[in-house]
Amino acid sequence: MRKWIAGLAVLLAVSCNVCAAEEKPAGEVKSFPVYTDAKSPDNHFIPSGWMGDFGDLSMDDKYMGEPHAGSTSIKFVYTAKKTQNQGWAGVYWQNPANNWGSKKGGFDLTGLNKLTLWMRGEKGGEIIDKIAVGGIKGTYPDTTEVSIGPIELTTTWTPYTVNLAGKDLSYINGALCWVANADSNPNGATFYVDDIKFEYDPALKPAGKKTQEMPFYVYADKGSIQNHFIPSGWMGDYSDLKLDVGSADNPYFGKTSIKITYDNKATNGARWAGMYWQYPANNWGGADGGFDLSRAKKLTFWARGEKGGERIEEFKVGGIMGEYSDSDTAGIGPVVLDKEWKQYTIDLTGKDLSYIIGGFAWATNLDVNPDGAVFYLDEIKYE
Amino acid sequence: MAPASASKKKVFIKTLKDGHYQLIVAGKPFIVKGVCYNPIPIGKTHDYDFWNDPEKPWLTDGELMKKMGINTVRFYQPGEDVEAMRRVIADLYKKFGIRTMMGHWLGFWNYPAPFYDDQDFRNKVKADVLALVEALKDEEGILFWVLGNENNYSFSGKINPWSSERIDKMQDPRQCLLARAETYYTLINEIAREIHRIDPNHPVVMGNGELICLDVANTFAKDVDVVGCIIYRGKTFGNIFKTLKNTFDKPLLLVEFGADAYNAYEKKEDEDMQAYFLEYQWAEIYRNIASNRDGVGNCLGGVMFEWTDEWWKHGEWDAAGWLVHDTESNWSNGAYYFDIKADRNMNMNEEWFGLVKLLPEEKDAPPGQAMNKRVPRKAYYAIREFWKHPSKTSSIKNPERPSPAGRKNQR
Repeated sequence: MRKWIAGLAVLLAVSCNVCAAEEKPAGEVKSFPVYTDAKSPDNHFIPSGWMGDFGDLSMDDKYMGEPHAGSTSIKFVYTAKKTQNQGWAGVYWQNPANNWGSKKGGFDLTGLNKLTLWMRGEKGGEIIDKIAVGGIKGTYPDTTEVSIGPIELTTTWTPYTVNLAGKDLSYINGALCWVANADSNPNGATFYVDDIKFEYDPALKPAGKKTQEMPFYVYADKGSIQNHFIPSGWMGDYSDLKLDVGSADNPYFGKTSIKITYDNKATNGARWAGMYWQYPANNWGGADGGFDLSRAKKLTFWARGEKGGERIEEFKVGGIMGEYSDSDTAGIGPVVLDKEWKQYTIDLTGKDLSYIIGGFAWATNLDVNPDGAVFYLDEIKYE
Repeated sequence: MAPASASKKKVFIKTLKDGHYQLIVAGKPFIVKGVCYNPIPIGKTHDYDFWNDPEKPWLTDGELMKKMGINTVRFYQPGEDVEAMRRVIADLYKKFGIRTMMGHWLGFWNYPAPFYDDQDFRNKVKADVLALVEALKDEEGILFWVLGNENNYSFSGKINPWSSERIDKMQDPRQCLLARAETYYTLINEIAREIHRIDPNHPVVMGNGELICLDVANTFAKDVDVVGCIIYRGKTFGNIFKTLKNTFDKPLLLVEFGADAYNAYEKKEDEDMQAYFLEYQWAEIYRNIASNRDGVGNCLGGVMFEWTDEWWKHGEWDAAGWLVHDTESNWSNGAYYFDIKADRNMNMNEEWFGLVKLLPEEKDAPPGQAMNKRVPRKAYYAIREFWKHPSKTSSIKNPERPSPAGRKNQR
């Protein structure tokens, strides 16, 4: 019974909060807090959804040093030790706690149109891959998923906004998540989050798809904030692949290049292998997350083989098909690599690049590389 | 000037003032509302001579097709009996108004592999095709000649690899691929020109897998009239219409596309899933036909794969399997995303693409009633309604998607 009363109290508090906000005159900001201060009765979600290398994370949600407002903020420490061998970590604020979509929870936030939060880094330069609202699937899925990023933190409190105008917020269980990775933060990251809230801003318009400026890098250097897309789409004999995105062995430009090792074991029985750089990670067309690269006329990259003579059947952009497909595809190949660095170009003239989730890919097979292949890639960019 | 009756017989493509391409049949604009037709009964395999099937399945099928609104069938390959072919083509046209696209593999599936760089082989293929055209060109039901079907996938060696000493000497794999493409497309062009000479009334379609190597065809196969693409891209054809306009500016006919009706993840027949994809695909075709000012205007229509299920396709060498409607998937395609989470992502079921499903005939059924029963699937009715009232989306509620497995470590 007590549980029921407590639930009712929360329900009343929430519904009154939203209702009250809706009754305010237009032009005035309505809000629905996620976190204001430790122990605040206005906190509506719990930072319970730890993902990826969750063993690398620690959190103090009552941290009292230099909050943005009130008396506390939340301190996160990400060690980037890859405890779960994932190379990334993140946290979702959920309702109820640990709800990955299996329980009916969440809130109807219809009427609100943005999420704001304040963040600062301990040292400055900490890279947050993305900040997202919604996106939890399951039996009771969030009704939207919107993300921003990557962002580079500074040591001063800075507000960040996720534009939710025009989005269906009728069921939000995952109010917010952040994700960071070890490549971008090789020494880990300590950062602070405060004053997270959903708001209504009458002046806010639905975000159009932003057309990206050129050049647009897939890979510049290990951990570079310029990098876009994640080399998460391993195909064919994926067990025979090794990827080092920070090879210091004679990079073409900068400090690192990408080293790919393809063994000839045919471990998964495919006799071919390949790799997609995707956004978001592991997106085979199931997530709405493509970039508008309409300004690009070509994709260029540098490549070399360990021995020379390694044959790549195809280098390509786009071509992932799913619920949210790439808007086009283009490629070159077969290509026989030299031992020395050589630049290659994929012509994108006339292509529809308005929605690209598969930013770059390669594929080859054992028939043309009977001993496997080791090759390097660098400076992959749309121009 | 040709007499009116002669010009009415001519099937041709008109270029409109805005550059759009419109197919004209019997003097009127014609949208191809087609279906691939390969009526192999349960228990038989691909070499079954359906042209001489005593049950005449095309009469039952033709009536059902006509009710749906289908106006074209595509045969992949001619039979051996010319008279039997004439009878089927005439029956479909005279009884149901359904026209025929007659295809030819160009020796692609023969043994040994197709040696398109060998003059004797080229001569033989050319002679075969021209004999076919000569034999059937005066049939009223003929609409198009279709040359090849995904033969271009052989250029990279993915399917039926072929080469020659001349090509192999080039060594650079990209140059070898381009040389094979040039070799094949010049043959296509030679045949297309010969067909135009002996039959000026029916356009020549080139059956190409996706848009692969059409930039080469742009140089070496200028005499084909229509590019026929075989496309499996799920809900959308993507940028195909515009890309073709940019690379090989010919009218486009989607000569093979569709969706299967078996959900490999749920392990059950899923008519909604098939209908859902087909409706979206037709909506895109209609957006890009000549009469739609907002589209690219180069699409002549489409030919769905396919009319009936084919029970022989999985394990085609096992005669016992021809009697079983196999549910094991044959290939993977993420564009058909409702069942992509099936084991090993194998979600495409070759035996389940029919707009109508087959049921085994009654045991000991007398002649005339010994044909597999046809049961239209939901897609049959959905596309019938779409053709009456074209819309931009699907009438099918978004089919249920499988719940994602374990979230903890998903980014």
